[in-house]
Amino acid sequence: MPAQVDNGGPPPTLPAARGTSIEAMKQIAARRLAPARVTARRSGPTIAAAMFLALAGSTGAVAIIRAVVPNAAPVYLLAVLTVGMLFGTVPAVLTSLAAFLLYDFLFVLPVYTFTIASPDEWLNLLLLVAVAVVIGRLAALQTERAQEAADRAREAESLYRITGVLASTRTVGEATPLVLAQLAETTAMDRVWFGLGPSPTEERIVADTAAAESLPVPGWHVVLQRPPDRPAHWVRTHVPRAGSPRAALAVVHRVRVEVAGEALGSLWALRARAEREPDRAETRILSAAADQLGQAVVRDRLAREATNAEILRESDSLKSALLDSVSHDLRTPLATIRAAAGSMLDRSITWTQDEQLDAFQTIDAEAERMGRLVRNLLDLSRIEGGALRPELAAHDAGELARQAAGRINPQGKMIQVDLPETLPAVLVDDVYLGQILANLLENAVRYGGATIVIRGRDLPEESAVELSVADDGEGVPVRALTHLFDKFYQVPRADGLSRRGMGIGLTVVAGLAHAMGGTVHAEGSALGGLTVIVTLRAAAVLPPDGDESGLVWSEAR
Amino acid sequence: MTAPGAWLLVVDDEEPARRLLRDYLARRGYRVHEAASAVEALRAWDAHRPDLVLLDLGLPDLDGVDVIRRIRREATTPIIVLSARGEERDKVVGLEAGADDYVSKPFSIGELEARIHAVMRRLGGADTSPDGLLRLGSIELDPARRAVTVAGNPVHFSPREYELLKVLLSNQGRLVTRERLLRAVWGLEYTDAREYLHVYVGRLRRKLSEAGIGPLIEQMIATETGIGYRVAAPKPDLPADAPTAG
Repeated sequence: MPAQVDNGGPPPTLPAARGTSIEAMKQIAARRLAPARVTARRSGPTIAAAMFLALAGSTGAVAIIRAVVPNAAPVYLLAVLTVGMLFGTVPAVLTSLAAFLLYDFLFVLPVYTFTIASPDEWLNLLLLVAVAVVIGRLAALQTERAQEAADRAREAESLYRITGVLASTRTVGEATPLVLAQLAETTAMDRVWFGLGPSPTEERIVADTAAAESLPVPGWHVVLQRPPDRPAHWVRTHVPRAGSPRAALAVVHRVRVEVAGEALGSLWALRARAEREPDRAETRILSAAADQLGQAVVRDRLAREATNAEILRESDSLKSALLDSVSHDLRTPLATIRAAAGSMLDRSITWTQDEQLDAFQTIDAEAERMGRLVRNLLDLSRIEGGALRPELAAHDAGELARQAAGRINPQGKMIQVDLPETLPAVLVDDVYLGQILANLLENAVRYGGATIVIRGRDLPEESAVELSVADDGEGVPVRALTHLFDKFYQVPRADGLSRRGMGIGLTVVAGLAHAMGGTVHAEGSALGGLTVIVTLRAAAVLPPDGDESGLVWSEAR
Repeated sequence: MTAPGAWLLVVDDEEPARRLLRDYLARRGYRVHEAASAVEALRAWDAHRPDLVLLDLGLPDLDGVDVIRRIRREATTPIIVLSARGEERDKVVGLEAGADDYVSKPFSIGELEARIHAVMRRLGGADTSPDGLLRLGSIELDPARRAVTVAGNPVHFSPREYELLKVLLSNQGRLVTRERLLRAVWGLEYTDAREYLHVYVGRLRRKLSEAGIGPLIEQMIATETGIGYRVAAPKPDLPADAPTAG
């Protein structure tokens, strides 16, 4: 059992003794006289002096009153009332007794002696004393209540500020300095700091009102004990293996920060040794602040956990969505291939040569499509890793466009290649441009209507060539146009159904175009659907040296 | 009804896949309508009332499950789902919505035809004979007497086992989800108690196998992992000619 601390002040006040505690009165009186820090010890002489002054004043007035007022008793009552209001019950009772003696001495016949001649006078005097005591006590109580109300208001105001700070900040780290500054001010502590950790010696200091280096955990300090069924009180505690006591200079106060039985850390406060122990209001504020900080720490932790869980969940669901699309996009052509092969293998059916040719072409086109998907996945990782190495050379855009259109399975749709004869050669990697066009055409076949048009336009002043793939499908909402090239982006549908596909085709288009020094953008098409426009660098025109076109041609790979 | 010339509706937005299915099935003696979207599918359904629907779930305009529900509101026409979605959950959703069977892409086209055949046979009344008995191979279940025989010899089953066998035998040719079986045999509140099913199906198989069916029972009451059970008559050698009346 740790000893009750004696840090120079009176023993802790207990609410049980509230109304009558002499020490409490003294403290109140002391604060009243000097709102700055006045210790309880210094209040004794002050009260004596004040009482003396009051009585002396009243005695001084006796002569005058004697001449004017036939009965001087009310004057004494007034003195008792004043003392009671200012200094509390005990001074008021003492004043009453003094008043009794003085009245006896000055007014009761024979005057200037303490002798009382008449039994009537006895009665009078006793009544006076009784009334004086009651008045003094009532006045003292009144003052005490007013003081208590003021204390409560101060406490509430302070708690209000603390909760306000916690509510308006996002993290404990942000809130604590403000809370501690508020605490230091309202609880008259020299320094307040907040540490997080399971035990005092393992604590990490989160915030400190003093800029100086953090204090070692003192070898002894007072800890606020907060038993559930009894009022909180400060208890001196020794910490094994902690720093040396700096007790000579200051007392360190510690309030444990606990939530649901879990020790989270401590709220520390330092007050010069000569100062009094924290009063009830200050103790309550420190205690409530510790609780609030504890809640904030827990809130922080939960928020962090929730965020982490959310990140995990999102990356998980993204992964599974990607896997799902990849498997869907690979299975679809694979199913067609298997159906074609299975049909051809059925010995019970005799297929015509045309039908066989058709099946083999389907197998070829679908295998091509699977290859393109795998290439897109690889390209995507290359784009992200910055590992694209285009081999740029001059190529005929028309030629590449026609090749790409020939390789795609049009699924009954019409693909027009509409490029001007005069279109200059483009400086591209033909494999990349082939992949770009294939991706654009596949999208157009999948989402477009009956007609797909590939167009080309010369931009001589920019030495660039524009290639566009337009469809006459539903198109894409304007809002979605800018996101079209984002990885895994899928155009939201009005009916909430998810689009099929992985959302990487256009990302790859943009990545490949950029790698070749080109750009890509999308807009509504004149056909009513979507147009994707790829701007590519035109191949440099060589000075005419006999080659008719003046262009550098490279062998198609 | 399952005579050659039964009308099939093939719903798939993948043009090459649809075309291949159409050509193959036509050669196998079926007549085929095609649809490339849910809207087309429902229009074709309204116009032709096909005998069976082959439905891809990933359609561009509507979820295929909605197509199943729409058809089920009006008719019990068998529906076989084709889907490239790999998730078991998707299969269960399709089956619970009323599909009869499920084939994952990529599938063997011969296997698809066998499934079509099995589903058509069930509707042709192969499993409910005029005498009111349910038959699967040499297994006969008499609902009137609550008796089961294998090749004429009685086999004893507990009441639950009997109910389970009855539900399985009345759903020949379909893929029956575990949820459906649990609901039918144990009641609504047991739909999560999958271990019951596991145990009871195991007992059914053991008793039937010991009664003379032998290891073939694993094919007759086949487990579709993660989804449910498919009950089908032991497969004779794959039909080498066009489908005939079951």
